[in-house]
Amino acid sequence: MTTFLQVLLNGLMLGGLFAIVAIGLTLIFGIVKVVNFAHGEFLMAGMFVTWLITTRLGLHPYASVIIVVPMMFLLGALTQRLLIQPLMSAEDDHVQIFATVGLSTAMINLALLIFGADIANTPNFGLRTPIEIGPVRVLTGQLYIFIAAIILVIALQLFLKNSQTGRAIRAVAQHRVAAELMGVNVPRIYILSFGLGAACVGLAAVLIAPLYPTSSNIGTYFVLTAFVVVVLGGLGSIPGAFFGALVIGLVDSLSGFYIGSDLREAVVFGIFLLILILKPSGLFGKRMTLSHLS
Amino acid sequence: MKLTKFLMGAAMGLALASPAFADVKFGSLYPISGPLALLGEESARGLELAVDEVNAAGGIKGEKIVLERGDAVDNNQATGEARRLISLVGVKAIFGTYSSARVIAASQVSELAGVPYFELGAVADEVTGRGLTYLFRTNPTAANMGKDSIEMLANAIAPGLGKDPKDLKIGIIYEDSSYGTSVAGHQDANAKANGLNVVLKSGYPANTVDMSSLVLELREKGVDVVLQTSYQNDSVLFLQQSNEAGYKPLAIIGGGGGYSMQPTADAVGHDVIEGVYDVDFTQFEVNHDATPGLDKFVEAYKAKYGTDPRSGHSLNNYVGAKVVLEALNAGEGFEPDQIVAAVKAIDVADGTTAAGYGVKFGENNQNERASMMGMQWQDGKLVTVYPESAAVTDMRFGK
Repeated sequence: MTTFLQVLLNGLMLGGLFAIVAIGLTLIFGIVKVVNFAHGEFLMAGMFVTWLITTRLGLHPYASVIIVVPMMFLLGALTQRLLIQPLMSAEDDHVQIFATVGLSTAMINLALLIFGADIANTPNFGLRTPIEIGPVRVLTGQLYIFIAAIILVIALQLFLKNSQTGRAIRAVAQHRVAAELMGVNVPRIYILSFGLGAACVGLAAVLIAPLYPTSSNIGTYFVLTAFVVVVLGGLGSIPGAFFGALVIGLVDSLSGFYIGSDLREAVVFGIFLLILILKPSGLFGKRMTLSHLS
Repeated sequence: MKLTKFLMGAAMGLALASPAFADVKFGSLYPISGPLALLGEESARGLELAVDEVNAAGGIKGEKIVLERGDAVDNNQATGEARRLISLVGVKAIFGTYSSARVIAASQVSELAGVPYFELGAVADEVTGRGLTYLFRTNPTAANMGKDSIEMLANAIAPGLGKDPKDLKIGIIYEDSSYGTSVAGHQDANAKANGLNVVLKSGYPANTVDMSSLVLELREKGVDVVLQTSYQNDSVLFLQQSNEAGYKPLAIIGGGGGYSMQPTADAVGHDVIEGVYDVDFTQFEVNHDATPGLDKFVEAYKAKYGTDPRSGHSLNNYVGAKVVLEALNAGEGFEPDQIVAAVKAIDVADGTTAAGYGVKFGENNQNERASMMGMQWQDGKLVTVYPESAAVTDMRFGK
């Protein structure tokens, strides 16, 4: 029984980890309608900066959030302004996707050039301390990630629902042309939204850096699962990404223990396919995507 | 008119063919960007140092060696770069490659072109198991790693723990690419041949971000000795997550790059990795009587790259390259068959190279004298503890 609870808890924590990475991705997709293949590399960039700040200045890794999040916002905004926006008028949407694939490769190799191929180890300041909750254990850092993911989901929902900018963002997500006719500055909203999505992954980077050694290819470890989570939750749905991540985390953990580590990916993707066959729009696809929030 | 053209052509041909002042070009094919870049680059440095040393001593057959670099970032590019090196650059032989998958891909190109390929670092069985004519491998393999890790367990670790090796429950975990899979297969076969009790054998993808369920499974099954064959992130992850789950097996024996690297120890913490074993290529904290030339290599490395070697990969590539280059110097020339004849004559005894093992190509052109060593993390350093002739200190038991 204890083991089952532990497996369950591990799955939830893993879900929180996937969620915090996936939220920014689904946000960008829901509004700008661009699948950002460089998402994992945004995470990697944020983790390297967290590592730099923590090791060079001796600060707690969480303190670097004040630098990393605005920096990632800027990086996202610049990506939209300089890379995606000029391609928005391209005949074929796939051009933008390939541009982000190119950005991803360029960022991985840039990181390799700057930081070398060694792993960069962010001091964890006690964030890898196991705490016991009854018979089961969890790392403090994992718990914070889980809590942060919940707060982020709620905060984004509130922002999109209640603020003037949030309304404008939803309007653009719903219908770009109509929003433009209503006087919304669409390119500005795109830049803002891309920046926002990147800032979310910046937050994820700060929280993940103390738990995982950073390397130039760390983004590829997370990004495939992030895509699965986003599709499973319903493209563009923020709560969907959160619950999709929990499903994937739990399935991963349970199948890893009860079926075997070598088969867990097969189980995860098998269930993913099954859900898509039964509900092609994803778990939250119909009701709650950004484009249908009103 | 035609005749003069012909004569000029012939004269140019002669000039090009003349050996004096010419360079001989070899390919250096390693993953130097992308996910395998760290150890790929480390391996490439070993080859460069061997070439520098041979060039400083007058080159081979009076010619200076020029290394032409290729980047085997993935399997496709490995074949593409092999093609470029062979047909555009015209290299006489290729050295590489660190990654088994890359050499398996690239050597198909070189074999068809009839260009010799010297593998100095990839461990998978299939590299030399395909019966190629022009592919030679100097380094120890997955089979050595599997055999040596089980031998170290049965002959040294179990007696040190005061246990009969047959009473220990063994768990074999491995990253599920061809590298981990083949090492794990040999560990399993050797364990069974020795009558040992393997209770779990499980693979996982190397880019996993969570190994907690595997750790729980090992704990549930009461595994006493864990054998892990892994890259770096998964080594770090496994050691951290077992420690955090309170799972402390009697022994953890790692195999491969991840367990041999200082950044791994720094990432998991020196207290956590204390006592963990590792079977791998010869490393630097080793009895130097068993590895003549090692000090010279480390000095040359520091002089050229400004740091200590980051793993034993450079050393093993250096040793293999040096033995091959010296054989070419003693050979007839640089035509493929002359190169093959020259390296087939190699007979270097154990205990005479900087890596300890000798070189003699046997069946399938595999170096039959290659072997690995057993190390243990002690006080944040990886020290050689097995076999006894190469050990610098005793094994430590019990945490």
